[in-house]
Amino acid sequence: MLLQSGKASPSSVKRRDFQSRRVHFIAQNVPLLLALLILVCTLLLYAILFYINQRRFPANFEITSIVNNSLPLALAAVGQTMVVLTGGIDLSVGGMIDLANSLAAINMQNNPSSVVEWSVLILLVGAAGGLLNGLFVVVGRLQPILVTLATLSIFQGLAIRVLPAPGGAVPPAFTTALTNPAAPTGLVPLALLIALWLLFRRTPLGVGIFTIGNDEQAARANGVPVLTTKLGAYVLGGILAALAGLFLAATSTSGDATSGNVFTLTSIAATVLGGVSLAGGRGSAMGSIAGAFVLTTLINVLFFAHVDPLYQSFYQGLFLILAVVISSLVGLYFRRRK
Amino acid sequence: MIGQLSRLPQRLERFGLTTDRRHIVYAFAAAIMLFIVGQLVHPGFASINSIEAVLVVASFVGLVAAGQTFVVLIGGIDLSIPWVLNGAAILMVTSSLGQDDRALYGVAVTLGMGLAVGLVNGLGVALLAVPPVVMTLGMDGIMEGLTLGLSQGLTCPTCASYAPPFVQNVVNGSLLGIPTDLFFWLAVIVLVTFVLSYTTFGRRTYAVGNNPMASYLAGINVRMVTIVLYMLSGMFAALAAILLVGFGGQASLGMGDPYLFQSIAAVVIGGVYILGGRGNYLGTAAGSISLVALVTVLMAVNMPEYGRSIIYGVVILILLLLYGREEVEG
Repeated sequence: MLLQSGKASPSSVKRRDFQSRRVHFIAQNVPLLLALLILVCTLLLYAILFYINQRRFPANFEITSIVNNSLPLALAAVGQTMVVLTGGIDLSVGGMIDLANSLAAINMQNNPSSVVEWSVLILLVGAAGGLLNGLFVVVGRLQPILVTLATLSIFQGLAIRVLPAPGGAVPPAFTTALTNPAAPTGLVPLALLIALWLLFRRTPLGVGIFTIGNDEQAARANGVPVLTTKLGAYVLGGILAALAGLFLAATSTSGDATSGNVFTLTSIAATVLGGVSLAGGRGSAMGSIAGAFVLTTLINVLFFAHVDPLYQSFYQGLFLILAVVISSLVGLYFRRRK
Repeated sequence: MIGQLSRLPQRLERFGLTTDRRHIVYAFAAAIMLFIVGQLVHPGFASINSIEAVLVVASFVGLVAAGQTFVVLIGGIDLSIPWVLNGAAILMVTSSLGQDDRALYGVAVTLGMGLAVGLVNGLGVALLAVPPVVMTLGMDGIMEGLTLGLSQGLTCPTCASYAPPFVQNVVNGSLLGIPTDLFFWLAVIVLVTFVLSYTTFGRRTYAVGNNPMASYLAGINVRMVTIVLYMLSGMFAALAAILLVGFGGQASLGMGDPYLFQSIAAVVIGGVYILGGRGNYLGTAAGSISLVALVTVLMAVNMPEYGRSIIYGVVILILLLLYGREEVEG
């Protein structure tokens, strides 16, 4: 390799370097690009089906509804991504969303100070839950899937303790602030989330998470503080899950200690659809957000395609498997070319 | 004293108690401990009748967990269990229509369905290299949709059928004063342990779990082993479904949901290494008993749902800390 480039003329080296870089960039980002492509296709399909049914294109109301319904899943998926990037998996996401949702519904009073106070407290609960997961994984040296399976049960139990029966209410102002039903203002926190992710990826913690996911021993050998980085990933995962719970409470305007359960598996599905490798070290939170939007839009697509709602999960499952198979085939193609 | 304790594992090893065998002993010890604790807090808990009742419920978890053990041994996982089980239960009652002369046909169709779903899972994992979590998660969705759609949300005319009396008798009847269901489970325990420990297929399973690449180079058909193991997992979920409808009489929606996490927990408490290659079904069986005994003790002392859920999680964490830890690196 070195000998070859030594023989070649400088200009051809430069060109080859540029070409290989471009191929490398595409190969590295194929999963993310594919996730965005899937998102665009799903949205197009939705718009077309909507037009056929309604003789108009989706407008303010429909867009707002999709954004608001996708936000909790998008946040949960980004939290899941943090943990998955380190090579772990977080099954406790659903339980943490239950807990956050119940706490919000039972405690928030209809005044700004209470709303802010409890939002901060709930995020702290999320951080504590994530820290618990992280400590068992890092200090206890237990498998992430088992630790979070156990904490899922603990968080679910706590949620039922807080809110034994569905009910409670969140202040209307809270709903308007987070998920305004009149306009797609939910795009603002979404843009903020993406911006924060782009910044985060370049922080020592962000780089460390990717490094550990790629090769933990090499990361340790190169001075990455494995212990604190992993803890950081789990704490962030917990905070984002709690935030997802807050958004869920805002959209549903009341609480239910079991409504978050589905998020454990859907957050994994969104992460995978977003092209994040379950082996860790590869992927982007932007892909996971795209995956969350795809999963939410898909339900609308199935509705307008007049699919019997009973068959809904059939198409969702099929879609998940097909998307992963296709993207792994495309990824394989590019890696072969490289 | 502490020095002696830390040398205990090596001493036990000399008596033939390897790490893996110790895990099985721990899992059985945990089950016995729970019965003793249960007897203390709720006198009569360790009576023969009550132990039998716990074991019968544990047998359902244990059968599902047998399939889960197979796939976990090669580092996989089967998340499709809930709706394979639920679909199988509905298929069992709708195909046999509660008639004894259709019972055999019903059992064959149901087990065949489980095998078929496992085959698709295995093909996806082994040939298309879909991660097991994704493949089986997607398959769970597919089975949920098919089950709900084809049974019209369990409102189809034949959906309310009962399990054939023959199947009901097999599960609920008793032989020599012991529930026949337990003899059945014992047979499965012996068979699965034998297959894993003494057959070429079992040895290959452990080999693939420890190192798929080395197994491939040693001439093992890794893909075939993977596919067969996922088929077994589907079949065991279907088998548990047949016994469950025999036990309860009818199928219901959502009856498979508890079995996903319970089967994984049983596998783990039983000392099967979640990344594959180590563990035995004997441990899983003990894990199933511990798990069901724990839940039953908590219900016997009228622990509310939230307390059961929390203690359940805490106990799993404690058991994991006791023996589920990875070896220190470097």
